[in-house]
Amino acid sequence: MSEHTVRESINRALAEELERDERVFLYGEDVGDYGGLYQVTDGLQDRFGEERVFDTPLSETTLGGTAVGAALTGTRPVVEIMFGDFMAIIADQITNFAAKMYFNYGDGTGVPMVVRTTYGAGDQFGLHHSQSPIGWFQNVPGIKIVAPSTPHDYKGLLKASIRDDDPVIFLENKLRYEDEGEVPDGEYTVPLCRSERKRKGEDVTVVAIGGMVDVAMEAAERLEADGVDAEVIDPRTVVPLDKEPIFDSVRKTHRLVIVHEAATFGGFGGEIAAEVAEEALFYLDAPIERVGAPFTPVPFAENLEEAYLPDEEDVIEAVQNTLGR
Amino acid sequence: MNLNDEQRREIYENLLFARRFEETVLEAYESGGVPELPHLSIGQEAVGVGATYALSEDDWIAPSLRTRAPILMRVPLKEVTAGMYGTVSGPSEGRTTQHHMGSTEHGILGTTGMVGSHLNAAVGAGLSSRQLGDDRVSAVFFGDGATTRGEFHTALNYAAVEDLPVVFIIENNGWTEETPIEQVTAVEEDLIEFAGHDLPSSVVDGQDADEVLAATSEAVDRAREGNGPTLLEMKTYRYRPHAEVIQERRDEAEIKRWKQRDPVKIYRDRLLDDGVVDEAWLEDLDASLREEIEASFEFAQNDPAPPEETMYHVYKDVEVDRDGGVVR
Repeated sequence: MSEHTVRESINRALAEELERDERVFLYGEDVGDYGGLYQVTDGLQDRFGEERVFDTPLSETTLGGTAVGAALTGTRPVVEIMFGDFMAIIADQITNFAAKMYFNYGDGTGVPMVVRTTYGAGDQFGLHHSQSPIGWFQNVPGIKIVAPSTPHDYKGLLKASIRDDDPVIFLENKLRYEDEGEVPDGEYTVPLCRSERKRKGEDVTVVAIGGMVDVAMEAAERLEADGVDAEVIDPRTVVPLDKEPIFDSVRKTHRLVIVHEAATFGGFGGEIAAEVAEEALFYLDAPIERVGAPFTPVPFAENLEEAYLPDEEDVIEAVQNTLGR
Repeated sequence: MNLNDEQRREIYENLLFARRFEETVLEAYESGGVPELPHLSIGQEAVGVGATYALSEDDWIAPSLRTRAPILMRVPLKEVTAGMYGTVSGPSEGRTTQHHMGSTEHGILGTTGMVGSHLNAAVGAGLSSRQLGDDRVSAVFFGDGATTRGEFHTALNYAAVEDLPVVFIIENNGWTEETPIEQVTAVEEDLIEFAGHDLPSSVVDGQDADEVLAATSEAVDRAREGNGPTLLEMKTYRYRPHAEVIQERRDEAEIKRWKQRDPVKIYRDRLLDDGVVDEAWLEDLDASLREEIEASFEFAQNDPAPPEETMYHVYKDVEVDRDGGVVR
């Protein structure tokens, strides 16, 4: 084990998969010589050459369409979309093309492509460079949506995503690239479609997604000082969802709080709440609480953005509500 | 490409095969028998046949929904017909319409209902070809209407920038659905004016399979030699409306004028003039094609509907229940 940042973990995952499988290639705007806006692909073109790691026009349409075509014809493209907001442009290729071709073909042809993109508020990048696009894609059968939370998971889940035969949207939280954590030195992957309990607790279940997992963990630490023992579940793969660990946890704690970054209304939290209501309603001792953004675009001004983004206080308040405090 | 007599007969067989197939689809549709709404290619057969003949079997084809001939040339007939009926023997066992089918075995890229979305996919097949070093060319067919979409421009640009082995084939039948293409495109005369300077392009008589074959062969050679993509504009015409549900609004005179240059007749007359075939051979061929096509319709009509579990085929790499929950 050694300490690595999220950025290093992603870079190493990409390098290892490029090394392991010559069908893998990596492309997007500025990913080649420049190393990506966030320097995630730094050094990879030098190491693997311009035919494996290369720049493209700024056309997400080209990236999405060519990635589907490449994935259908024997290679395993990894696309970088600079900002999650730009997923609106590539949405046709993802929802109508990538997601549907395994269904459309009758011979088992899969679509092994990964679309890496950044997401999230907190940088004052304004309303078109700060969104969290999970809700845009969660209702599309055929796509996998992966949102890791630790350097360990970023690396292991990205490697698994590249090896997966289905199209994967891999979400990287912009605020977390510098986060450090323990990462094994040797080869490993983290399986897709498996929720993980990040913290064991007895009093309340907190399901948190992506960048909000850390927020939930910090809230749990503070709650512990208050005598509240919170369990934190990280789905890691949001779609398709590994629901059982969430149900099991709710059956034990009898309380549920869901935390994500996008707007609460129409967001992924509503889906988890509905699933729990269907499967474990009578285990609940309190109404389900959702923590998310208000139903507005991501605002620019520092104080507005701070008010927009869910934080520990919001999670603690929601947990207290479930405890009737 | 110098063709011997056998090859010329084969091209004619494919032209007539596509024609008779589409006519049978129309008959079946009009008698209420085909569930898939037909978007017929009658009148445009020479484009698909001539271009496919220029490709090797390993090359990728990305058809538009009206590019029937290449599919008929590559996929077993019963499978194609069953595809229109949505029965178990179709290319996706009834999950998708035949128009959008994909098949890795037959080198056909699946497509979507978004006009032009397959252009960049064909460029992606070119990326695969480069990555794998397998020399496969991809040929993408699309209508004139697709040239008004960003997909067209981004695909041409990127294929040209990267010198990828792609042949872009516009099947310009003059009408984008029910609107004349010149009404919605800012070109003087030809759609290839949209191509940049760094992309070879030409206008081709799309009613003459030999012309289509010659132009496509040149483009395929260029692509295979690593010299990048080509844009070909095939001037052609469809005899039927965009889809069978749409009211015809084109001039009778215009349709009649184009029928004077019927691609099947042009080829047949040429083969007769050159003594490559005689009337008896033509009659025999027609009879046997009709029989084969009829048999495929009879087969499809008796082919079972897919069982419900057929549609639970969404993820390749994980087992999910019908509501998308992961099965542990």
